[in-house]
Amino acid sequence: MRDKNLRQRVLIGLIVGAAILLAICVGGLFCAEAAKTSDFTRKNLPPCLTYPFGTDWLGRDMLARTLRGISLSILLGIFAAAVSACIALLLGIAAATLGRTADAVITFVIDLLLGIPHILLLILISVALGKGFAGVAWGVALTHWPSLARLIRAEVMQLKESPYIQIARKLGKTNWYVARKHMLPHLLPQFLTGLVLLFPHAILHEASVTFLGFGLSSEQPAIGIILSESMKYLVTGKWWLALFPGAALVMVVVLFYAAGENVRKLTDPASVHE
Amino acid sequence: MKKKLISILCAAGLAASLLAGCAGQADHKGAKKESDLEKVQQKDDAGEASVIVTMPTTSEPEAGFDPAYGWGAGEHVHEPLIQSTLTTTTKDLKIENDLAVDYHVSEDGLTWTATIRDDVKFTDGEPLTARDVAFTYNNCKEKSTVNDFTMLKEAVAVDDKTVEFRMTKPFSIWPYTMAIVGIVPEHAYDESYGQNPIGSGRYIMKQWDKGQQVIFEANPDYYGEPPKMKKVTVLFMEEDAALAAAMADQVDVAHTAASYSDQTIEGYSLMKVQTVDNRGFNLPALEPREKDGITYGNAFTSDVNVRRAINIGIDRDEMIENVLNGYGTKAYSVCDKMPWYNSECEVEYDQEKARQLLDDALWKEGEDGIREKDGVKAAFTLMFSNGDSVRQALAEDVSNQLKEIGIEVTTEGVGWDVAYDRAQSEPLMWGWGAHTPMELYNIYHTLAQKGIGQAQYSPYANETVDRYMDEALKTSTLEESYELWQKAQWDGTTGITQEGDIPWIWLCNIDHLYFVKDGLRVADQKIHPHGHGWSIVNNVDQWSWE
Repeated sequence: MRDKNLRQRVLIGLIVGAAILLAICVGGLFCAEAAKTSDFTRKNLPPCLTYPFGTDWLGRDMLARTLRGISLSILLGIFAAAVSACIALLLGIAAATLGRTADAVITFVIDLLLGIPHILLLILISVALGKGFAGVAWGVALTHWPSLARLIRAEVMQLKESPYIQIARKLGKTNWYVARKHMLPHLLPQFLTGLVLLFPHAILHEASVTFLGFGLSSEQPAIGIILSESMKYLVTGKWWLALFPGAALVMVVVLFYAAGENVRKLTDPASVHE
Repeated sequence: MKKKLISILCAAGLAASLLAGCAGQADHKGAKKESDLEKVQQKDDAGEASVIVTMPTTSEPEAGFDPAYGWGAGEHVHEPLIQSTLTTTTKDLKIENDLAVDYHVSEDGLTWTATIRDDVKFTDGEPLTARDVAFTYNNCKEKSTVNDFTMLKEAVAVDDKTVEFRMTKPFSIWPYTMAIVGIVPEHAYDESYGQNPIGSGRYIMKQWDKGQQVIFEANPDYYGEPPKMKKVTVLFMEEDAALAAAMADQVDVAHTAASYSDQTIEGYSLMKVQTVDNRGFNLPALEPREKDGITYGNAFTSDVNVRRAINIGIDRDEMIENVLNGYGTKAYSVCDKMPWYNSECEVEYDQEKARQLLDDALWKEGEDGIREKDGVKAAFTLMFSNGDSVRQALAEDVSNQLKEIGIEVTTEGVGWDVAYDRAQSEPLMWGWGAHTPMELYNIYHTLAQKGIGQAQYSPYANETVDRYMDEALKTSTLEESYELWQKAQWDGTTGITQEGDIPWIWLCNIDHLYFVKDGLRVADQKIHPHGHGWSIVNNVDQWSWE
């Protein structure tokens, strides 16, 4: 690693992280069936060679369930983060460019949403939409945009006043040209980093809301379901039901967080000096 | 690089704390319980004949100990302890007198007359008269939302000892209703009665810490045999907390589930109580049709041969072994072992015959091993209530077993908010079992004014079955009615059994399991109904310590 420069090392880290996440997703796709198959002849097995993560009280393979659960979370995270980021981008730009009234309204909405605990709003939206995958996905998607929107708004406002954009306008460039050639490239690093950093939040909130029973229904191999089921069996010493899925969840969150940092380093010109 | 490492650690910490935050709530609750337990424990060192029993948190009566709001006479029936009832159910679920010394019904079945004891006093010293009885029933009729009192027109006190129940229709099993309605004092009844109940029963409610515990003390002026157990403390907690409490030697009787039955706790032994707490699923017996946005019926299960094949294609023994660790009995009806049960309901497990039935009905196996007929797949979704691990496991086992005869079953967890409507077209894993034949009526009898005029919970209609049940309600003695209830199940030509229409499949009766402290003699239990709560203390007055 020493002979590589920072940029190359970051790139390698990013690729490795992405590869692991991709592997989990692909793995999850393939064990959709295995994660649901119950077999009472192999119930409550502690971790062994055949079942590295053990089995639960229905004899379901916990490795398959964990992989499937994580991949479900990632899928949901991608959807929720994408929607959230788009809302953030649109509202952020709108607030900064459409004048005082629009700014006041949007800022108020942002403050309002930030003032309510995420999880509460999430549960409300999820239950209102009938729970299930759609409920959680929209719940997460509609609650995670305010902080990014605020960031983008501030960024755009600053940009509007910056000399090179003022000059470009004075030179008679169109709004569209200024937005495309000057603003977007400047905003992209923040936007991408913000987008990737939404993932861990989205995934953890999905797990929490499902854990609390307001999310996916209990035959689904979601990580929140797995963890809440395991609570009942911890007292009887079945530690593997909670440990491995929990650790896997933490690992995925860490990977996404690291990936976000890496993306920032690669795209933000200022990070050259680190 | 260092910065990166720190940030990763922070993220991990964040993730862990978020999850811990969710789990923390439960922990906190547990800890609070524990300190309460210690309090209880200290009080009991006084050395009285006292006992501490745990119950599920759902057993705590939300609206208090008021029969009008479901205490004793609710979804889960049991003896009300604080109040006394006119009659009571015996160990074999027949009826004997309690407050009543005599009761009889008029020729037309429209008037029940009960004479009551004259030596009974409420715990506030006032005598219990027929006026209190009449008041109680009228009050229940007016307010009860959890139990059906529509057959009662009014209750009238004729004199101090005689009460007349005027009915809207004949209801021969009225004594079973009289066995669950605790008599409340008219003079001391107001909206807060449930919080400070006064009765004439075996126990007095001394203290109720909501969300935690109820403490009962023996009623010194009880008119019957004085209770041996002087103090009863009931703690409300989940099964895992109850197990932990037993492990810490803090309770005398801890309710538990089959999944914990392999635990051994020093100083405790596992007690199992037979129940009619059954689990089974409905098979909509009607071609699909729609009304008011709800689909009624199911194309696959509307074929009676399919329903018969499913009934004998399920190995109940294996299921009890797999799911209940052997703690259960095979169920063939909603009322196994009750006096009104018809043993014709029983069937033998026969996978070959099940296959044959499906073959004969032209359900042919496709390439994927799943049967088909005229483009209809031999498949259904079996729903279970979210978070109920036993029902989920039963549903999974049904799915595995029916796959062997070429039927595809997908399981799905649902909430009760949507379950009732969806069960009109898709099978749902239910739990039933009550100390009254009325349950047969509720499940199998058609309701003209509701839905599409079929049975309430799952589309089914059979005029003959209806007629037997209507007649059963019109008989003048319980014995006659038992016979008619049995005929409603199978009369030799039609009914709800394997040879009949079999609109519901019954799987097992779940034994109620308890860890009981060594030295405590828990009196013989009558067959428990649905609900793992108050039934255990029905006869707590007769328990004793060795």
